[in-house]
Amino acid sequence: MNRPVRDHEILSAVFAKMDVPAMSIAAGVVGSVLLFLATATLLLQAVPQDYPVGSHLKDLAAYLPGYHVSWPGAVLGAFYGFLMGAVAGFAAAVYWNLTHYVALGVMLISAAELAD
Amino acid sequence: MLPNWRIDVVTQMGNYQNMRAINQKANGVNLKLLNAAIRFNALMLGLTAGTLAAVIVYVATHASIARWGSDSGTYLALLAIFFPGYSVTSNGAWVGAFWAFVYAGTCSALSYRLYGRVLGTRIADILLSTVPTENPVLKPSVLRLHGSSLGFAIGSIAALGLFSSTAWLVVRGTADESVHAALFSNYIPGYSVSILGGLWGAMELFALVFLACLLLATVYNRIVEKRHKKS
Repeated sequence: MNRPVRDHEILSAVFAKMDVPAMSIAAGVVGSVLLFLATATLLLQAVPQDYPVGSHLKDLAAYLPGYHVSWPGAVLGAFYGFLMGAVAGFAAAVYWNLTHYVALGVMLISAAELAD
Repeated sequence: MLPNWRIDVVTQMGNYQNMRAINQKANGVNLKLLNAAIRFNALMLGLTAGTLAAVIVYVATHASIARWGSDSGTYLALLAIFFPGYSVTSNGAWVGAFWAFVYAGTCSALSYRLYGRVLGTRIADILLSTVPTENPVLKPSVLRLHGSSLGFAIGSIAALGLFSSTAWLVVRGTADESVHAALFSNYIPGYSVSILGGLWGAMELFALVFLACLLLATVYNRIVEKRHKKS
């Protein structure tokens, strides 16, 4: 049921900070699931025997040592996916909080100028 | 001269308690403040995502050059289709960073605008606590994510992105040569580098991104609730 939103709630929502560890883990989980499924999807497709499965995805090995399009590779990919997602989530959360702090500082100065 | 969104936020921040009485609408929501809040955070997200994307493209280009030298850029060079002037060179890295900033910044800002619109007056749902704090600006609450709104917003922009890029490949006449784009059909059954295939792919991508966002929001919110249970 909708209830009226109070002004302090809107302002709280604007300046609410992102939880850095939570975003790192959450993005890591998503990255892990995505890379695992990306590999698993190729492995589960019906292809002729000796058909080169994942000839493009396997090129990820250039960046992710040991990765290959196989079930053990999918598990390793999930680990790498978690790492990459976590780094991206960490960077996004830290940068999001940082831009808000910087913007807040700028706006406080602007507010002081408007008050003069 | 301050831009309009900043004047809105600054004015509202400065005396929001007085403004509350003036700006209340019939449904009890200060829409002017809500819209200013959405515009402000859209800009913040645009800057965040744009900068991160620019750094990633810049670093990836240089990493590729460092690792493979003159043979570098087998896949990265494909970005030139969407990033005019891009190449896997030192100068190209700057061009790529610029376009990555523009694309990621625009898409993220649009995503947040959509997220804010969908969330609308349910904005209080994303707060860990709706108890008034002494100063909501200087002592901020912790953000929660609204999974379905996030999924709708990012899913829509991703779907639009896939359809536009597919349409661009068709319009420039290279659809038949776009073997790498066609590989999407491994993950998006029915996708092809054609207008119809792009439409179908966009719908399926929307569903996939929607699910990924639900997962992200669920995990994030669970951890936030656990970590801040005592406070």
